[in-house]
Amino acid sequence: MAAFEPVLSRNWNNPDILSVMTYESMGGYAASRKALTTMSPDNVVDLVKASELRGRGGAGFPTGLKWSFLPKDRKETFMCINGDESEPATFNNRYLVEKDPHQFIEGILIGCFATKANTAYVYLRFEYIKAIHILEKAIAEARAAGHLGKNIYGSGFDLEIWCHRGAGAYICGEETGLIESLEGKRGWPRIKPPFPAIEGAFRKPTVVNNIETLACVPHIVERGADWFKSMGTPKSYGPKLYTISGHVNKQVCVELPMGVTTNQLLEDHAGGVWKGRKAKAAVPGGISMGILKKEEFDIPLDFEEIRKTGCLGLGTAAVTIMDDQTRIIDYLYNTTRFFAHESCGQCTPCREGTGWLYKTVKRIRSGGGRIEDLDLMSHLANNMGITPGTTICGLADGAAWPIKNALAKYRDELEDFIKHNQNPAYKITAGQDAISKGQSPLPTNTSMFVPGIGLAKSLSN
Amino acid sequence: MATIIIDGQNYELPEGAKFNAIQAARHFGIEIPYYCWHPALSVVANCRMCEIEVGTQDATGEIKMLPRLTPGCQTPVRDGTVLVTDSSKVLEHRKNIMELLLINHPLDCPVCDQAGECGLQDYSYSHGRAEHRFVEERNVKPKKDVSDLIVLNTDRCIMCTRCVRFTREITGTAELQIMRRGDHGEIAIFPDQPLDNPLAGNVVDLCPVGALLDKDFLHNQRVWFLSKHDTVCTGCSTGCNISSEENAGKVWRHKPRHNPYVNDYWICDEGRYGYKAANAPDLLAGNFILDAGDHHGVATDRFFKRLNEDLTHRILDKQAVLAIFSPFLSVEEAYAAATWVKHLTNRSTLAMGPVPVVGQDQTFAPDKMTGRSGDTSFLMPRPFTISAEKVPNKAGVSLVLNQLQGSEPLNFDDALKQAESTPIVIVFGGSPNSDWITVDQAALLRKAERVILFDSTINALADTADYVAAIASFAEKAGSYVNRDHRLQHFEAALPTREGVWTLLDILAILSGNGRAPIQSRSILAEAAAKIPALSKAKDGAVPEFGVNLTGKDAPIPDAGFKDDWTLANLAQI
Repeated sequence: MAAFEPVLSRNWNNPDILSVMTYESMGGYAASRKALTTMSPDNVVDLVKASELRGRGGAGFPTGLKWSFLPKDRKETFMCINGDESEPATFNNRYLVEKDPHQFIEGILIGCFATKANTAYVYLRFEYIKAIHILEKAIAEARAAGHLGKNIYGSGFDLEIWCHRGAGAYICGEETGLIESLEGKRGWPRIKPPFPAIEGAFRKPTVVNNIETLACVPHIVERGADWFKSMGTPKSYGPKLYTISGHVNKQVCVELPMGVTTNQLLEDHAGGVWKGRKAKAAVPGGISMGILKKEEFDIPLDFEEIRKTGCLGLGTAAVTIMDDQTRIIDYLYNTTRFFAHESCGQCTPCREGTGWLYKTVKRIRSGGGRIEDLDLMSHLANNMGITPGTTICGLADGAAWPIKNALAKYRDELEDFIKHNQNPAYKITAGQDAISKGQSPLPTNTSMFVPGIGLAKSLSN
Repeated sequence: MATIIIDGQNYELPEGAKFNAIQAARHFGIEIPYYCWHPALSVVANCRMCEIEVGTQDATGEIKMLPRLTPGCQTPVRDGTVLVTDSSKVLEHRKNIMELLLINHPLDCPVCDQAGECGLQDYSYSHGRAEHRFVEERNVKPKKDVSDLIVLNTDRCIMCTRCVRFTREITGTAELQIMRRGDHGEIAIFPDQPLDNPLAGNVVDLCPVGALLDKDFLHNQRVWFLSKHDTVCTGCSTGCNISSEENAGKVWRHKPRHNPYVNDYWICDEGRYGYKAANAPDLLAGNFILDAGDHHGVATDRFFKRLNEDLTHRILDKQAVLAIFSPFLSVEEAYAAATWVKHLTNRSTLAMGPVPVVGQDQTFAPDKMTGRSGDTSFLMPRPFTISAEKVPNKAGVSLVLNQLQGSEPLNFDDALKQAESTPIVIVFGGSPNSDWITVDQAALLRKAERVILFDSTINALADTADYVAAIASFAEKAGSYVNRDHRLQHFEAALPTREGVWTLLDILAILSGNGRAPIQSRSILAEAAAKIPALSKAKDGAVPEFGVNLTGKDAPIPDAGFKDDWTLANLAQI
């Protein structure tokens, strides 16, 4: 295998790359010029299909296939670029926008040309203030240089890019939640069908792509599908930006071929676990993906292999390392709190389930846990999300997976924690306990007055 | 012919039906529980109560089921659709959803107005689980005033968002919104922007739980004491179908009844609170004769005897009669009264009573595109109009008078002018408003030698008429009205007549001596239908559920008749 040559991050060390002149001088906008002047939109779609590029946003849906779902007779198409990037510990999109905005704009240009979208909306998360300034400046420069606007490169293709800043909601990273938010509504995901390709933003056919996905496109156009497929593992090709954070010596974002292992990331790029400690577990791709045990650190982080560990998927490839002093209950406390806070509140199982899980984990952590709470959590987690079909979007799956994984992989530790961490102040009352098990809250052999019946014996009989 | 399979059994879909799974199952008598879905609102699929197993049967007969549960509300049924509503997976899921909906819901049914007609109560009973595993602290949310008439108990809310969608999609006023996220989400109004559109009260009916409640009805009655009477609103010429709910001799509230050709699922607030006129303490009671400048109460038999003698005497003197018919009369009353007048004398003129018009027609035309996007092919939003013409039966009274007189009835202003030159004026009232006639107008009518009034309120004319007979109020009579679109609709009486008061139909039967009271409105309608060609569609006095279009043919409405009512399906089970 030839030595890996980073492409997405190749210009990150060059601060001048923010200027369109510099970017052009380094060979930038050659791919977009090639696509717009020598290829048809369908050629580009076919090329991306051939490269088997899969969406980098988390779900890993084949990008070319997504583009081909658009109706053939459409009159107007919108491109939405998902830069909401609110999955905790993920920052590769921010790097892409802040460190090389023109590469991203070139990707948008080619993507829009392929999907015949004349309007692109870049939806950036609320907190990315620096990124939005850089991007807006870059868009203005690109327009001045003729890469955006009317009749780009004389091809007859028009494109305008608009930046839209979110208002700080995790759910707006879900594609239909993003569209609702973009339309000025509450970011509540829509039911599907119709999928955005048929009826999306402003009820028009819409493509929603991740920033990193589009950033890959110019390189595919420039170097070909075979080049792209020369990297990675089967069904997961190309370069990928991995972010490593948590209990490591160096928190970095690195570009590597798809399918590196957690061990490689940890040892080769993050400088090992901090404070000389050992690793205990890792979150493979944003907290909604579940948890990896230390023994699973040599599993390739790609779209397919990672699932064999019971994790939900690769997600955003944001790896968070936990050292051996981390308690799994703390990990669960963090994840459940996050999802209870970020659940949009639309579907009942997610709205009530995330809150319930958070309260239960909080009680266990405070010292009021019961062993049967673990079974209850498992039951709740197994019945929420689009996997069992009980919610509109995947947020609930993301909320359920850490619970499912932790219970499958660390049940002993959790039981041990409950047994050895009992605090009377947080214990539930015997009455509550009894009611929750379907029993009478009253001690046996006591009587109570029941209106309409009179003095009744214990209700448990 | 489209065939679908529900729970292993084949059913033929009716021609042209555009159903979702809930409607299709209900059509064949199978219940799929739901909360957030409403037949006239966009589909959001957020309560997840209606989830079932869905599949398709292909031409070879092979059935492929989707691996996950699917909400019935977002599943349009087509030829080959397979629905499973009773598998253990579905039943278990319903139990889970009920448990989740209740974890932050207070168990305050004993003090909640919704108890007895509550979606949570009914489904807990039929689909929930008895024990509850939730031992954590509940979220406590505030009670809010969203308008002078409506209170919002956010703690009872299950976030189905029906109310929010109603104000966005039907009225287009969008007063309601959701604030906060997750299990802290609350329905709210914008500061100082109360929920006060003319249809606002409908959110109370839409609310499946006791979150949105009507302050007018709050803590007045337990709903299981109310008996419901299917009637028609008399507030304007739209003729909304309503349920008038009565207990202990009083009407306590009006609720809309579904009629896709008239009011769909809604009524306006004016009609909703129009029930108060039925309980007015000062309605006319008893019969009075003007004697020496003062009205004297007279027993019913003597009253009619003296009235008949007086009239017979004057008619023999060939005196002319001017008869004025209120547009609040039912078709039957107008027919019986006009027939009686025509029998009295051939020198009679029939006139229409005053027809108040307030402002202009107000139409709420929902646009499908304002709703959430989704496959809503089964959704057919229909417009709702509040008519400016504030009477229920101008069309019906006018067609009866037209037929019996052979020409258009005189309008009220001309009738006032003519009163001076007419010896006998007979007025058939019936308006619930005592200000239907002014003192000046009454004075003009008083110029006649004899003024006879049949009415239910004490008004300016009742103060001066020679003969004043109390008749049943709008709530105490049954019959039919013809609305502005020429739809004849039957209405029931909600209350018994006041003590000592007869219905106009009974009084006329006595006066004309050709029938024995009590008279059934249906037999009068049958007679009128046989005699009046415009009413021929009401043959034998039969009026179908949604009324009958007198002038044309109704376009078929595929989803007509879906009653958005939790209690119906559950009562059938119990």
